[in-house]
Amino acid sequence: MIKFYLNGKFCEVDARHSTLMLSDYLRYEKCLTGTKVVCAEGDCGACTVLRYSPMLQGLESENFQAVNSCIMPMAAMHGMHLITIEGLEKDQKMHQAQEKMMSCHGSQCGFCTPGFVMALAGLSEEKINRNEKAIDPKEAKNALTGNLCRCTGYDTIVKAACTMDLSREESLKARYHNEEIEKHLSEILSKDLKIEESDYQLFAPTSYKSAIEYLQNNLDAKIIANATDLGVVHNKRRIKLNNLLSLHLIKEAYEITYKEGIVNVGARVTLSEFRHFLKDKCVEYVHYLDIFAAPQIKNNATLIGNVATASPIGDNAPILLALDASVIIQGPKGERVEKLSDFFLDYRKTTLKNDELISAISFEIPKERTLKFFKNSIRKDLDISTINLGLNVKISNDKIEDILIGAGGIAAIPLKLRKTEDFLRGKKLEPSVIKQACDLAQTEYTPISDVRSTSSYRRVVFENVFTRALGAMS
Amino acid sequence: MSKWPNTTAKAHDSAHNHVTGKSEYVDDRIIMKNELFCDVILSPYGHAKIKKIDFSKALKEKNIIAGFTGDDFHHNYWGTIFQDQPVLASELTQYAGEPVAVLVGTNLVDVQYAKSLVEVEYERLEPILSIDEAIKKKSFIGDRRFIKKGDFDKEIKNCEHTLSGEVRIQGADHFYLESQATIVYPLEDGQFEVHSSSQHPTETQHVVAHALGVPDKDVVCIVKRMGGGFGGKESQAAPFAAIAALCAQKLNQPVRIALTKDDDMMATGKRNPFQNKYQVGFDKDGRIKALRVELYSDAGAYADLSTAIMERAMLHCDNAYCIDNMLIEGQVCKTNHHSHTAFRGFGGPKGVATIEKIMEEVAHSLGVDPLDIRMKNLYLDEKGRDTTHYGQVFKNNCLPALFTKLRQSSLYDKKRKEIAEFNKNNDQYIKGMSLTAVKFGISFTTRFLNQANALAIIHQDGTLQVATGATEMGQGVNSRIAEMVASEMGLDRDLIRMMPTRTDKNANTSPTAASSGTDLNGAAALLAIRKIKYRLSQLANLLFEIPEEKWAKNTAGLGSAPELNVEYMPHENDPNAGTEWPTGKANYFDIEFEDGFVINIKTKKKIAFKDLVIEAYLNRISLSDYAYYKIPGIEFNKLTGKGDAFLYFTQGCALSAVTINRDTGELKVDSTDILMDLGRTVNRDLDLGQVSGAFIQGMGWVTSENLFYNKEGLLLSHAPSTYKIPNIQDIPREYNIELLENDENYMNVRGTKAVGEPPLLLALSVWCAVQNAMTYTNSYKNKYPQIKIPATNEEILRALNLEKFQQWDQA
Repeated sequence: MIKFYLNGKFCEVDARHSTLMLSDYLRYEKCLTGTKVVCAEGDCGACTVLRYSPMLQGLESENFQAVNSCIMPMAAMHGMHLITIEGLEKDQKMHQAQEKMMSCHGSQCGFCTPGFVMALAGLSEEKINRNEKAIDPKEAKNALTGNLCRCTGYDTIVKAACTMDLSREESLKARYHNEEIEKHLSEILSKDLKIEESDYQLFAPTSYKSAIEYLQNNLDAKIIANATDLGVVHNKRRIKLNNLLSLHLIKEAYEITYKEGIVNVGARVTLSEFRHFLKDKCVEYVHYLDIFAAPQIKNNATLIGNVATASPIGDNAPILLALDASVIIQGPKGERVEKLSDFFLDYRKTTLKNDELISAISFEIPKERTLKFFKNSIRKDLDISTINLGLNVKISNDKIEDILIGAGGIAAIPLKLRKTEDFLRGKKLEPSVIKQACDLAQTEYTPISDVRSTSSYRRVVFENVFTRALGAMS
Repeated sequence: MSKWPNTTAKAHDSAHNHVTGKSEYVDDRIIMKNELFCDVILSPYGHAKIKKIDFSKALKEKNIIAGFTGDDFHHNYWGTIFQDQPVLASELTQYAGEPVAVLVGTNLVDVQYAKSLVEVEYERLEPILSIDEAIKKKSFIGDRRFIKKGDFDKEIKNCEHTLSGEVRIQGADHFYLESQATIVYPLEDGQFEVHSSSQHPTETQHVVAHALGVPDKDVVCIVKRMGGGFGGKESQAAPFAAIAALCAQKLNQPVRIALTKDDDMMATGKRNPFQNKYQVGFDKDGRIKALRVELYSDAGAYADLSTAIMERAMLHCDNAYCIDNMLIEGQVCKTNHHSHTAFRGFGGPKGVATIEKIMEEVAHSLGVDPLDIRMKNLYLDEKGRDTTHYGQVFKNNCLPALFTKLRQSSLYDKKRKEIAEFNKNNDQYIKGMSLTAVKFGISFTTRFLNQANALAIIHQDGTLQVATGATEMGQGVNSRIAEMVASEMGLDRDLIRMMPTRTDKNANTSPTAASSGTDLNGAAALLAIRKIKYRLSQLANLLFEIPEEKWAKNTAGLGSAPELNVEYMPHENDPNAGTEWPTGKANYFDIEFEDGFVINIKTKKKIAFKDLVIEAYLNRISLSDYAYYKIPGIEFNKLTGKGDAFLYFTQGCALSAVTINRDTGELKVDSTDILMDLGRTVNRDLDLGQVSGAFIQGMGWVTSENLFYNKEGLLLSHAPSTYKIPNIQDIPREYNIELLENDENYMNVRGTKAVGEPPLLLALSVWCAVQNAMTYTNSYKNKYPQIKIPATNEEILRALNLEKFQQWDQA
């Protein structure tokens, strides 16, 4: 049985529901139809609910966080506490997010509204925890980047957020969660979860050892941390997810360690946790993550998932290439470490074998280096890169002592521009050198034309951005 | 606020349900025990013969019940203007993404997986996928249409300056959040109850009845609300309702269809793409003397509303500007794209885009500020400058006031200087700005659509129900109608319940479209409630004449006092007849309805509305009424292109300033200042919401929303991951919206003006600002940039780096 809490009440669902996405479970099994589904791919936020995961450890406080329920399989709800739009009112009194969205006309057709309200409620949780009473426009926009509205033009929604009086709200955690529930959830989370049906099986072990054993016997199993990627594939009915290995009960997977300048990010560390960790350590990366996906996705998706999916774009892979990151891989023979630059083989193909999984990514936080992380997309926020670029440069005595270049969206894999790096090492950064380097770089890749842009656009953007970034360093 | 007595700022009448998740949409209806789910199979080819459809493999899957094709319908063809479109393509598919079959099962996920097992055999034919190709092959829908004023051919020869060019305009997806959805419940005697997300319940009813071969009397279509429509559910909700209805009829079980966003985007039509060629002549001062525009639109595979959309585009080629010699030609092209349809603004934005670009280009060629050219060419309230190219005299012209006010309030001249200065000193960013206008004709250009009816009911406790043909899609039409009825009756809005739109209460209705929902249905609702008000006013006077112990509430059971009788109101079609101005309220027999009381203004005697209602019931005076409204004076002759096409015009203007990143083509809208004339608003805040939302929606169309097709014409950007509508971070950094005070729109109910579509056209200020920014670069000192709609990052970067792009395009 999958066990979790929903709006303060304990719920159990049997195995045949475990492939359902949370949103479908809420809407069709529980008749909680306030949660809407629009895109079923985590790109619009209409399905936003709040989730508390007791095992998350990389945030400043353990809160209910906004997540996309449309791409979260029920199996991954095991051990979680969820709050839906129906849980927001207290004694028939509206939450501030609801009250202000109503009075400021933040809602027109209403279909996106529950998602916006829940995202604002998520922001409220964070703010209340920090004992802050008001929301400013920038915070509001950042928290609502993952929510699309086609009616209002958003200005009234920003206004609603900024007029919320949080001194009038008690946190949802205080309202719905307590020690007893916490204890119950830790019990649930401390045991392996195994589901076996005739056409579906899932295993969520509490250790990597059991995970590897499972993989050895189930070479076709798909590994999920939180399934933000496979959830979409499932929703588009491209493949059936009939054998899953979930890492969400492995405690060590939630760890980020930082020793002697080396950071080690566990398999279940979300991008929100990662960003929080980097806050005072690598500002350039933090800015880059700010225009990566939606808050709801970042609260759910993991850094390692983003790398393991081996998308040619990333968006993290090119940056991690520029940071010379390594992947730490667990397999039947124990642990192996591989440079990320050797990890990607071809389109969506990596060196990872069917009985292996990635347990961590590690890299050194650069010091005394110039970093330039760049992302270009059709829409600035909440969009996948058309092209992205990571530059990591060490300059001494006017010369490039070292340079690492990672780029995405220009080849079948996230690409390390080795020849260009070699060419630039030891050179003085002057216009003619930059021009030659750029021309050389253009020979290292062959972009395709696709739904995001033509290949020519990618080439011209690369040239302009590469030239300007290096020019600024000289 | 004395000048604006009717304006309220009440929240949308469903807002409290929206924010708590209690609002019910079609797919939120609780699933019945025996309910089935259906989903459509889409053609991957733009043009192909369908040789065979085989469900046998799919039917072997668990929970799959049945599959049907177009041949299973009683009638398989539908269409609003021409009945040329199959509900399910059989024999021939004419666009990629066209539904060719439907699969039914007990579980939606299983149905969606099993769809790929339905085997369809096609014989591919060559598709037509562009306007150019359609013109070459003379693949047209309808005849070429003309609107003429003066003598273009003669005048163009006399012009000192001439320019010619082309505007290329792509389509856009509606991206209503709620995809097409319908549930059909079969009832006894072969009746069907259809719950649909439709802007046009009457057409949905008719299409379902026709497709199933049942009489209209046996189909009721009900629309509670839509999760957005924007024109996309005006005609195109109907075929999906018919598909679900077919399954319900065949299997005699309730059937639900709720398209995925991907299927919805692939299968349904978009805003029509246009290619408009123009030739313009003007004098050295920039006064435009002659204009010829040849408009070509891409209808997609079927006619849908495309001919009407073309007509509106042609009617809007003048926009705010009076040009003496005009020759406007329009031809709708048939291609193998999804069948394009209504989208907020209809054809208007495509005509207006053309003339606004011309204004910029003329200014650039003369080296003057585009705003000066615009103001020089404005319609004026004087003879010779007040008549449109279709011969309608433009009344209540607010344009000169709008331009003058916005120029000041937006600090136009200061911003212009700052931008010029900025552009001198920056090699990475470039800025531009533009002030564009809208003059949007309000009325359906098809005369018979300008009719509406309403049913008003007062219950014995003094609360009201009002039902009209208007459908609620977020715009707040129900709130506005309720507020008008409430103020007419001196009641609080909460005492009025707007009922779901049902074809058994309000039949033969028009779609909620053309921004006309409140105009038409609000007028009908007021006319209906006034009939009751007329009777209640008389009754009040009668009651005031007799002692209360003789009132019916004390005597009716006894039959001891004579029954009171009143006259019924004669037919009235004008919602402003006999009304006070500017309140727009009609009072009869010296009686006023105010704050829940009914008062004789002479004697000051009063009775509570609630008590009066009971007396009316006990005296057998009807507390319900029905009214019918038709917009007067619409006389547009489609054959001659002349006549009064519109009741009035909603007007506005906007200034947008943008910054372009020259490295990437990325665009940021720094500021937008909008000034709209909406007459006297019913609910100011709801109207502001329409302005803001329409503008941002238009901004998406002219900037980031890029429809990308494969070689068969199948849409590949069919989800928000690839189709980018504006996000909360994209709204102008500074965003100001103001309304002009105008209580002189006597033509329309209560002096209001329609708001739904017009502000969308102001987003062209962003598109023009992009072009304006380009003119500050060296490349465009002496020629004008050719930027299509949308001005995507790539479109912009390409224009800034023509040679670089050429080099790589050829590589």
